[in-house]
Amino acid sequence: MITGVKITLLIAVVTSILSLALGTLVAVMRNSRIRPLRIAGRVYVEIFRNIPGLFWLLFFYFVFPEILPSGLGDKLNAYIYYPIVASIIALTFDNTSYVSDILRSGLRGIPPGQREAAVSTGLSRVQQYQYVLLPQTFRKVLPPLGTRMIHNFKNTSLCMAITAPELMWATQQIESLTFRGLEATTIATVFYVGVALCLGAVIILLEKHYKIDISSITQMETE
Amino acid sequence: MELLLEQLSNWKFYLVGAFPIGPVGGLLLNIVIAILCLTISFFIGAIFGFGRLSCRKYISYPCIVYIEAIRATPALLLVFWFFFFIPTILGKNISLFWSAVISLSIYSTAYQAEIIRAGVLAVPKGQMEAALSSGMTRFQAIRLVILPQAFRMMIPSFVAFFVSLFKETSVTYIIGIIELVQTGIIVSQRQPDKMFAAYVCMAIGFWVICYGMSHLARRLERRFGMYDLSSYRPTICRKDLSLAPPCNGGKVTA
Repeated sequence: MITGVKITLLIAVVTSILSLALGTLVAVMRNSRIRPLRIAGRVYVEIFRNIPGLFWLLFFYFVFPEILPSGLGDKLNAYIYYPIVASIIALTFDNTSYVSDILRSGLRGIPPGQREAAVSTGLSRVQQYQYVLLPQTFRKVLPPLGTRMIHNFKNTSLCMAITAPELMWATQQIESLTFRGLEATTIATVFYVGVALCLGAVIILLEKHYKIDISSITQMETE
Repeated sequence: MELLLEQLSNWKFYLVGAFPIGPVGGLLLNIVIAILCLTISFFIGAIFGFGRLSCRKYISYPCIVYIEAIRATPALLLVFWFFFFIPTILGKNISLFWSAVISLSIYSTAYQAEIIRAGVLAVPKGQMEAALSSGMTRFQAIRLVILPQAFRMMIPSFVAFFVSLFKETSVTYIIGIIELVQTGIIVSQRQPDKMFAAYVCMAIGFWVICYGMSHLARRLERRFGMYDLSSYRPTICRKDLSLAPPCNGGKVTA
């Protein structure tokens, strides 16, 4: 059970961080001036958003080793931690599409004056994103981003389908070994609810901490 | 590509499962579960949504607890609860299908309640005040003035939620319901060499429905969405509760 909790948290944290990074990348791609990049980003998001995470878990666990060259695939199948790796990959891809969508809408919501100001102070495109656009975006999209991360945390329970030894899987194991399913599931439920609510509280705190005074920005825009 | 075409000869299995000779399955079952859940949870969600908006604490607090608790629980866990433990508690079996429908309904009730609440809160304050001052009771005001406007704004959210609920129905494969994911797995187990094609078919099934629906949601949003619903944060909502008139023993003095 404790290992289950550890693995659940591990998967959740790693996928959150990875998908945040990748999501930023995809969001910037979708915002770029180069058309193929935009299209690639859009195709990625449309594909991964419209197919359930469970499918991607099964896909990366069962099918991915098959379509690789046989030697590599067999190695992956034999790799004892492959369920965990596969679930991290799958959930990251799944979550990335949502995160990038959230970030993109955030980027679009930034007043164009910000970008123009960044250009006129001589920042390069990377610098524009790094110092001007992305920090504002993150502040702005914190609430939906937080909801998404909670959702991602809940999605880790799906990893049980591919026998990744996380909390739900441990619960099932306990049930089949000791028939104490009710107790184990209750504990698991309490854990999930507790962590999700704590995350929610943390996000509300962060939000308060990083709140931008929207009115001052809009005022500047209108002036 | 050839493999894919070959798989497509199985299309009937993916779409309706073993329907003419056996129970309905495949994509159709996903859709049926999703629609059933959506309708059931709409009505229950409306109760909880309005309950949360209520100015009486003994009504609103239980609703808040219910909504937040369900929203913090993974769908899989709820499906499990209903599949394994409700029969032991009730002492009788319920069919797989109904346990899936009930558990997902309960899951979606919380989300629907939030959508309804957001929709109601997005209606400008003045509407409620105007309705009350023209002598309507609160119930009348909600039914005749607030709901028609709120419902308009809720429609895109409902469609968007349907998409996510539809994807969530794939979870039920774990308790052994033969829906799209399960049909794909069955096919890929029968013919392990064609696993890739089977999974692609599965993906196409989900993708087509979800893509279509999310596009519909976007179009509806352009048409109906007047207010940014997502900008309503809980802290503001608490304050907005004061838009409900003070409770004078449940009666509003006109």
